[in-house]
Amino acid sequence: MGVSNPLLPRVATVVDIIRETGDVNTFRVVFDDLEEMAAWNHRPGQVAMLSVFGVGEATFCLSSSPTCRDWLEFSVRRAGKVTTALHELEPGAKVGVRGPYGNSFPYEAMRGKHLLVIGGGIGLAPLRPLVNFMLAPENRKDYGKIEIIYGGRSYNDLCYKEELFRTWPEAPDVTVWTTIDVAEEAWQGHVGFVPAYVEEVKPTPEDKFVVICGPPIMIKFTVKALENLGFAADHIYTTLEMRMKCGIGKCGRCNVGARFVCRDGPVFSLTELNQLPQEY
Amino acid sequence: MDSKIIKKEKLLSLLERFIADYHVLAPVREDGVLFYRPVDIPGDIELNPGRSVLPPKGRLFPQTEALYGYRVEGEKLTLNEYVEEERQVVLFGVHPCDLRSFAVLDAVFLEEPRDAYFAARRNNTVLVGVSCSSVLPECFCTTYGISPVEGNGADIHLTDVGAGAYLVEILTPRGKDLLQKFESFFEDNVAGAAEAKRAKEASLVKKISLQVKVDGLHEKMASIFENPYWEKLSRRCLGCGVCTYVCPTCHCFDIMDDGTKEEGERFRCWDSCLFREYTLHTSGHNPRHALAQRLRNRFFHKLSYNNQRYNTEGCVGCGRCVALCPVNIDIREVIGTVRGLV
Ligand SMILES: Cc1cc2nc3c(=O)[nH]c(=O)nc-3n(C[C@H](O)[C@H](O)[C@H](O)COP(=O)(O)OP(=O)(O)OC[C@H]3O[C@@H](n4cnc5c(N)ncnc54)[C@H](O)[C@@H]3O)c2cc1C
Ligand code: SF4
Ligand code: SF4
Ligand code: FES
Repeated sequence: MGVSNPLLPRVATVVDIIRETGDVNTFRVVFDDLEEMAAWNHRPGQVAMLSVFGVGEATFCLSSSPTCRDWLEFSVRRAGKVTTALHELEPGAKVGVRGPYGNSFPYEAMRGKHLLVIGGGIGLAPLRPLVNFMLAPENRKDYGKIEIIYGGRSYNDLCYKEELFRTWPEAPDVTVWTTIDVAEEAWQGHVGFVPAYVEEVKPTPEDKFVVICGPPIMIKFTVKALENLGFAADHIYTTLEMRMKCGIGKCGRCNVGARFVCRDGPVFSLTELNQLPQEY
Repeated sequence: MDSKIIKKEKLLSLLERFIADYHVLAPVREDGVLFYRPVDIPGDIELNPGRSVLPPKGRLFPQTEALYGYRVEGEKLTLNEYVEEERQVVLFGVHPCDLRSFAVLDAVFLEEPRDAYFAARRNNTVLVGVSCSSVLPECFCTTYGISPVEGNGADIHLTDVGAGAYLVEILTPRGKDLLQKFESFFEDNVAGAAEAKRAKEASLVKKISLQVKVDGLHEKMASIFENPYWEKLSRRCLGCGVCTYVCPTCHCFDIMDDGTKEEGERFRCWDSCLFREYTLHTSGHNPRHALAQRLRNRFFHKLSYNNQRYNTEGCVGCGRCVALCPVNIDIREVIGTVRGLV
């Protein structure tokens, strides 16, 4: 069986744990077999299964850029069994990784276009590899301006602060707008929900793709705002979350209509979503 | 296509040879209930089995299956894949509807990336089909173009043609190898056997009580997704999941760990889209929170999604879910109603 058993994880080591927020940690992971590391390739938007043996497996998006060849990153919100077990790990711990699974953001079709990134909370995790892929020196010339509108409940709930407040704003042709839900003493920035902020920022739709990730309610109202601003459904992309077990179209669990989120998703355009039953 | 004849007493001694050379799984009765089980004695085997409670798909996709073991020793974590079976398996006595179900499962499990466990078992299984001898009230295989006497999908296929003789059809190269290996058990085909098979078919097909049609149905089903019919139907459903557990084409599974952090195994087991937990997120959000949504999902899977995804029918008309649903939810009736609605 050994040659190709897609359900068999590869053993990897957690080399670093970055505390993003009160309940989100980013796990930096390296395969024990360096050939595995060299052979790994993912596209922005894809997911993988992370295992804590004895506890179970769960699905996470790859939050590191495909252009980073030294490690993989997963940003994990503590929620249940597996995610809590992950949060209890220390650097050096062994985990299992299998993947990458699913389609990706249409970074090929996005060439020569501008990009608007809209995220809420941990929803920035699947968008981060896309931004960092486009900002990589070898790719930067292929893409236009990048606008990022990102919000969290509080300052402490914002992920990737180093990139959000330093790396990205300092990069040429990148604009970042951040907002938090409720005012805080030390916060000088915008206060309010993401959809309202989008209406305020008034991004223009010309030659632009939009990618949105965050809580379902945020996505719903943001999409409305975007449609009012003249964005077309086939230029708006988001990711769907369904429970997943196999990641490879066998276990049946992630179906929305005839589509499997693990194979045909997790990235869908709004046009595609409008054709799917509302069961996600 | 090559065909032979085998006499009943020769068939029993052939089964004895099979048992010596292979691992044989065949229909046996336990307390009057039919199951596919490993057998050691040819006399235990039901030669004209009829419908088993659980389908023979368990041979390819077991109800629970260990995927691999894990063990932590100091700094080291090792994963042990389970080794393949040494002996080939003969799965004996599979009826035409269940033979077709293997093709439905193939489309799922052998699609890239292949499921290594299913593929290994599939590859290591010789399939001996058996024509039906009777039709049960819930059978409707003909809806899907399946004949109760045809062995499509089997390596060799047997039909009882009367007078203690079976017509043996050799359907694949693997079936041919089997025949060559055990040549002395078979006789040349005789005039009349093929006619006897046709006559048998005609009499069986006549007994199928409810003829339903599904042609062109799957494309139209999207239009009744929101129809109140599903809610009404679900009012009597218990959500017990029996219909999915007994279905030869259902392929959903869960993956879980059994063991400590130091040592244990990861396994998979059948799961059911009728269960609330199946789609429940950790956050409490449930995309199919209502039983009506889950029941609708099951029928859409069988009657539409499978066609869309794999271009094959997702039901084979075995009638198990009809026979075993505690509240008599009947897929034939659903098809009939749906035809009227689309
Ligand atoms: C495409 C996709 C991408 C995701 N990306 C991320 C990410 O980048 N960061 C992050 O923190 N979370 C992400 N999630 C959610 C994450 O998979 C769940 O939070 C996690 O599975 C919960 O597991 P648990 O064992 O801690 O919770 P428990 O409730 O204890 O889980 C029990 C079982 O339910 C399953 N389960 C529960 N909720 C979900 C869910 N929403 N999706 C899938 N399976 C679920 C788990 O697989 C587990 O086996 C993603 C989910 C999907 C489907
Ligand atoms: S849906 Fe019912 S009749 Fe159809 S294959 Fe499954 S168990 Fe048999
Ligand atoms: S067997 Fe009948 S009652 Fe049980 S889940 Fe299926 S349809 Fe519902
Ligand atoms: S996660 Fe198993 S089919 Fe999608």
